[in-house]
Amino acid sequence: MILYYKCPSCGSDMTFDPKSGELTCDSCGRVENIETYPEELKQAEFSPEETKEYQCENCGAVLITTADTVATHCSFCGAGVVIGDRVSGHLAPKKVIPFTITKDEAAAAFKKWCRKGLLTPKGFMSADRIQSITGMYIPFWLFDLNSKVQVRAICTREHTYEEGDYICTETEYYEAFRDINLNYMKIPVDASEKMDDGLMDKLEPFSYDQLKEFKTPYLVGYLAEKYNYTDEDLEPRVKDKISGYIESYIRSTFRGYHSVDYKQKHVDTKNVNSFYVLLPVWMVNYDYNKKVYTFAMNGETGKVVGFPPLSKGKMTAWFGGIAAGALLAFKCVSLIMGGGFW
Amino acid sequence: MINKRSLFLLLITFFIVVSFGSFAQAASKHEVIYDGAHLLKDNEKAKLESLSSKLGKDRKTDFLIITVNGTDGKTLEDYVEDFYDKEAPGYDKKHGNTAILAIDMKDRDVYLAGFEKAEDYLDSDRMNQIREAITPALSDGDYYKAFSDFIQKAHDYMGYKPGVNPNSILFKWWFQIAASLFIALIVVGLMAYRSGGRVTVNARTYLDNQHSGVVSDYDNFLRRTVTRRRKPSNNSKDGGGGGVTPGGHSHSGSSGKF
Repeated sequence: MILYYKCPSCGSDMTFDPKSGELTCDSCGRVENIETYPEELKQAEFSPEETKEYQCENCGAVLITTADTVATHCSFCGAGVVIGDRVSGHLAPKKVIPFTITKDEAAAAFKKWCRKGLLTPKGFMSADRIQSITGMYIPFWLFDLNSKVQVRAICTREHTYEEGDYICTETEYYEAFRDINLNYMKIPVDASEKMDDGLMDKLEPFSYDQLKEFKTPYLVGYLAEKYNYTDEDLEPRVKDKISGYIESYIRSTFRGYHSVDYKQKHVDTKNVNSFYVLLPVWMVNYDYNKKVYTFAMNGETGKVVGFPPLSKGKMTAWFGGIAAGALLAFKCVSLIMGGGFW
Repeated sequence: MINKRSLFLLLITFFIVVSFGSFAQAASKHEVIYDGAHLLKDNEKAKLESLSSKLGKDRKTDFLIITVNGTDGKTLEDYVEDFYDKEAPGYDKKHGNTAILAIDMKDRDVYLAGFEKAEDYLDSDRMNQIREAITPALSDGDYYKAFSDFIQKAHDYMGYKPGVNPNSILFKWWFQIAASLFIALIVVGLMAYRSGGRVTVNARTYLDNQHSGVVSDYDNFLRRTVTRRRKPSNNSKDGGGGGVTPGGHSHSGSSGKF
């Protein structure tokens, strides 16, 4: 089942406008509020069979999609379509952060980012070889986690004082125990097989005040995919993601001790709540020196991640400059201390 | 541009003033080589005298060399102290800035002393370093080399601020270059690493502060231990160290055998 959004006034295709956050008609300028838009899909149940061919009801062409595609364009008439049965039932996203950055803004922000690169080659910095900028809703699971932590440690506190000809070091030993309850809210983990995990992690943070109830019209005009991994599949990854956070919290509760020797550490992390969301990402493909570089931009905040090519010349220049500067600094220190300049 | 130019001019002026300042000091005519043991040839003595007066001018300090054949039962340190009290050497005044290298051929003793400015700038640690550097030449009987090395090193070390170790690795050119290259490597590596975007979330980003925290805790005192160690005393320097002359002049020093 394919969903179209036809303008009730003139019959043209409507698309999502990141500026206003509404569905707009490019032809007559009609604006439809998405939040009050009737959602006929919410209750509908579809068989999750992996159909790959749809007929575009707009022009009659056959629409071929991959099994994961949720939203796409008809390659013949260009109309934005949403494949309804892939966002319903257990595949229905609970929430979505709509795009707030338009394609033009994304291109401009990307060009600006390219110019800021200190090690990127000059030819790359002009950012005139952008192959494509694609708006994609990437499937994420947001996890609410609860960790119960019990730690027992032997800690020491030291202080020194002088007594006659002696320096005394007094060490006090404590047995310390902490029972900690930690709640982490909405930790995002991408559920798409295709997307590089490291790249997606760097896109964070998303600002959750833009998190909206999911409505299919948000997807019109963008690409979207359904999740490949369930929340159960991703639990180890999210737990791994917060393990460092938990460690640093534990350490913070032992502040004031000179040494902490953990005797017992028990961490029990439970998934309290997890829900499926679609988060906006601009994927930028950039052609440089016969090689394609892929960058991702947070469609809400504009943060760009991805490795640009490195210019050997610039790296050498920086290396030389910093080495010379450091040497000069050393020489100045030596001069101040009386060691002479040479 | 104006700033750069004026800075450049300032530097030039600074160097001119500094170099003229050292020439401006009139040469003082002291005897600086007391070769009682007759270890030096005349031309060697003349060369050492000119070296001593040239470098001495630079540091406003007399570099004296004393050789004796026996000290009438006194220690070499006492001998040097008496010498300073009696002869009252000094670049700037009587009992002034003086660095002395004394050797006793009979007991094969060597003693180095620094007075006034040389006491601060050639403290016992630095004197030890100089003594250790020239002892091999003394043992080999190459007295001219040992004496000129003493004057040269004493002059060089007095360029460093008191309290700074002149042989510190910080002043070694190979260390400075290696450390600079290392820093540059780390910085450029970091820049390359960070060019792909940084993780900007931390432990507090997703933490629900209102519903997180320590539920219960205790800190039970177990025991207390005290360890004592003796204060490192400041006066126990190797190789003799300094002292005060009978005439009341304090000095730094270093003594040894060769």
